[in-house]
Amino acid sequence: MRLRFWFVMPTWVLMAGLFGAPLAIVFGYSFLTRGYYGGVAKPWTLENYQRLFDPLYATILLRSFIMAFAATGLCLLLAFPAALFISRSVKHKNLYLQLVMLPFWTSFLVRTYAWLFLLRDTGLINTALQKLGIIHSPLPLLYNDGAVLLGLVYAYLPFMVLPIYATLERLDPSLPEAAADLGARPWATLLRVIVPLARPGIIAGAVLVFIPCLGAFLTPDLLGGGRTVLVGNLVQNQFTTGRDWPFGSAVSALLMLLVTLLVWEFLRRETEHLS
Amino acid sequence: MKRWLAVYAVGFLAFLHLPLLTLAVFSFNSSRFTVWEHFSLEWYRAIFRDPQLMEATWNSIIIAVCATLISTVVGTLCAYGLWKRGSRVLMGTLYLSLVTPEIVTGISLLALFQWIFRWLHWHLGLYTVILAHVAFSIAYVVIVVSARLRTLSRSLEEAAMDLGANEWGAFCYVILPALAPGIVAGALLALTVSFDDYVITSMVAGVDSETLPMVIYAMARRGASPVINAISALVTVFIGILILIFERVREA
Amino acid sequence: MNRRYFLLGLAALAGCSRDSRPHLNVYNWSAYVAPDTISNFEAEFGVRVRYATYESNEEMLAKVVTGNSGWDVVFPTYTRLKPMLDYGLLQPLRHEWLPNLPNLDPRFRVPMWDRELQWNVPYMWFGTGIAYSRSVQPAPRRWADLWNTRLKGRLTMLDDPEDMLGACLKKIGLSFNATNPGELQRAKQEALAQKPLLQAYLNAEVRDQLVSGDVLAAQLWATTAQQAIDADPNLAFAYPEEGFPFYCDCAVILRESERPHLAHQFLNYLLRPKVAAAAADYTRVATANGTAKALLPDSTRNCPTLYPPEEVFDRGEWAQPLTPEAQRLRDRIWTEIKSS
Repeated sequence: MRLRFWFVMPTWVLMAGLFGAPLAIVFGYSFLTRGYYGGVAKPWTLENYQRLFDPLYATILLRSFIMAFAATGLCLLLAFPAALFISRSVKHKNLYLQLVMLPFWTSFLVRTYAWLFLLRDTGLINTALQKLGIIHSPLPLLYNDGAVLLGLVYAYLPFMVLPIYATLERLDPSLPEAAADLGARPWATLLRVIVPLARPGIIAGAVLVFIPCLGAFLTPDLLGGGRTVLVGNLVQNQFTTGRDWPFGSAVSALLMLLVTLLVWEFLRRETEHLS
Repeated sequence: MKRWLAVYAVGFLAFLHLPLLTLAVFSFNSSRFTVWEHFSLEWYRAIFRDPQLMEATWNSIIIAVCATLISTVVGTLCAYGLWKRGSRVLMGTLYLSLVTPEIVTGISLLALFQWIFRWLHWHLGLYTVILAHVAFSIAYVVIVVSARLRTLSRSLEEAAMDLGANEWGAFCYVILPALAPGIVAGALLALTVSFDDYVITSMVAGVDSETLPMVIYAMARRGASPVINAISALVTVFIGILILIFERVREA
Repeated sequence: MNRRYFLLGLAALAGCSRDSRPHLNVYNWSAYVAPDTISNFEAEFGVRVRYATYESNEEMLAKVVTGNSGWDVVFPTYTRLKPMLDYGLLQPLRHEWLPNLPNLDPRFRVPMWDRELQWNVPYMWFGTGIAYSRSVQPAPRRWADLWNTRLKGRLTMLDDPEDMLGACLKKIGLSFNATNPGELQRAKQEALAQKPLLQAYLNAEVRDQLVSGDVLAAQLWATTAQQAIDADPNLAFAYPEEGFPFYCDCAVILRESERPHLAHQFLNYLLRPKVAAAAADYTRVATANGTAKALLPDSTRNCPTLYPPEEVFDRGEWAQPLTPEAQRLRDRIWTEIKSS
């Protein structure tokens, strides 16, 4: 009995000290006022939370939600057929899975930079199109919402493939067979039988993609050119050049709340589903 | 339908891999621009001539190794402890630490360290980065090792104790060896995540703790440069080798 | 088991390979010293300098403001000196350790921001204007030209609240140093009107993009602009007709520094005419060191971008340090501009 306690103790300490305490400090900071040139200062206030209702920041939050939704939706559309293919292939399942996961293992920065390299005005895509004579002056492919969306989808696509694949793999093959026997065409079988049965995987994948996209910072920073400001950029800005730690803390608290609610809801449904 | 799926799968994999391959190909281009001039290793040579880059890489390695060691040991022990008797609170906290946006983890750790430093007069440095990396790696290790633990039969431990081993002995000589592939998998995950981290590291790094992702980011902000292509290619190959080793270990 | 010990040993080894020479940590703007300035200092004084760079005052201040960043010498623009003083971040300079101080240009020996040079040593000075490609016809001559829609997507402004808002203020004919909230709100409207035309808010990073042709016009500091022009003669620089700011970057020693004597030696080293001249010539910045200026080659000394002629000089105004309230207001407006 005592051994188990000592085994778990280091994790408790580390989690309390490096996760719980920092979050508590940030929560506390969200009620303070900004020091003149950074840091925090005394009067306790609710002003930071009131500022969150300002339409400017509400818009940023809304934009982040929409971006995360769009990225999740696109990932779903792109990943589902791929997961279907892998689950149905007979010989090289593992190989395909590894090929899909391989980009995930390489550096996130590198993968985001790859799109910087491709989309710039003097990047590969524009240079190629110009050489082929299709366009005469470079297309503004970079530093806009579309580029950020592309970067997010590219980064999190493997996260959507895996859960869907896992669910499809365990699918009872007699079910789609039965549908075909009853006269359903392939598309109908797909939409009416397979997709609904894959729902747990779809939801898991959606959560795995949506949450990181909501708090994304690097992708909008590098590919958005400082013009696409999402929640992650706002927080980072307040803690560095914006010099408003309390406000940044309030935004972080809100973000944490949203994320926790989402995960709670998801876990609740999962355990409901199991029991 | 099967044919369409196959075509789609090829396109899908191409979409995933082509950007990285293009990066690698153009890292051998002698010209700065995306017009192919001729094959050249000059950008690779530039990497090794840059002392700041070399120091940053070394820092990244040290941080990753230290953080992985600590988080693997702590995480494995924790996974075992939780396997014996679960704790919703701890599990929940670990999951929460996984989904917390990186920027929030980063700023909260910065706030913690700055608050402590008001009294201790220490500086941010390599150790703060290592601590930060441990903070977010533990959850990964716990989850991977727990998954592996679930495949073990509980009777394994009972059998060992029936044969006279105490709890600690059972853990060391029976459970640990059976867990080994899971531990290696967790360690590898922690290593990759730590080596690649930018957001959290940039917030808690000190004067002497610049890491490779920080250097890459600074260069990327200044505009694309073929040196980044070369660095990217090297990093990808390095991690690819790690994965290969892992696969070998797993099959062994 | 063996594997683990090996890795532990590696980590320990890494800890042991620390240098035994004294250290100095210097945080400076990017491209502000000659390539061999630091290594020459290291060789001559037998020390190891950790030299890192930043792209904006805010970036540097964010690290330094908490008072335990680990840096010894930093180079703020003089407008940030008073806030740094208020926060107790600076160490007073000891002139007996700075024998090369008289080398400074007379204009900078009694600067308005620190009349007795008690806290800083002026380093390099410059103005802000417009860097542009000659392919842009007619050439931009006024801040208002940067609101022209034909530049859409190929235009950047500085990622600096002071400069960016200052340009907006000048465009509508107000003082660069305005603190009146009404005036600042008007400037903010101008900034918001311009934002759709911008590619990004960039500091010195835009140099590469000007050279490669990604960007056609940029609000830029004269020094960075000159560096870009050196790389590509198709670029040019203009001091806007409505007026523009002058700045001076100064070397200061942080109070937290545990190596004040070595830090002073570094500042003194930078004041040497030959060293300052080498730095000024390589980096294409106007040096505050009068003796060094005399050593510069003619082409640099007479360069209109770096050392503007009298009539241009008179159009400029030295930026005033802001009061904390004014700073807060500007910070908030800056966040609003960047967030919209």
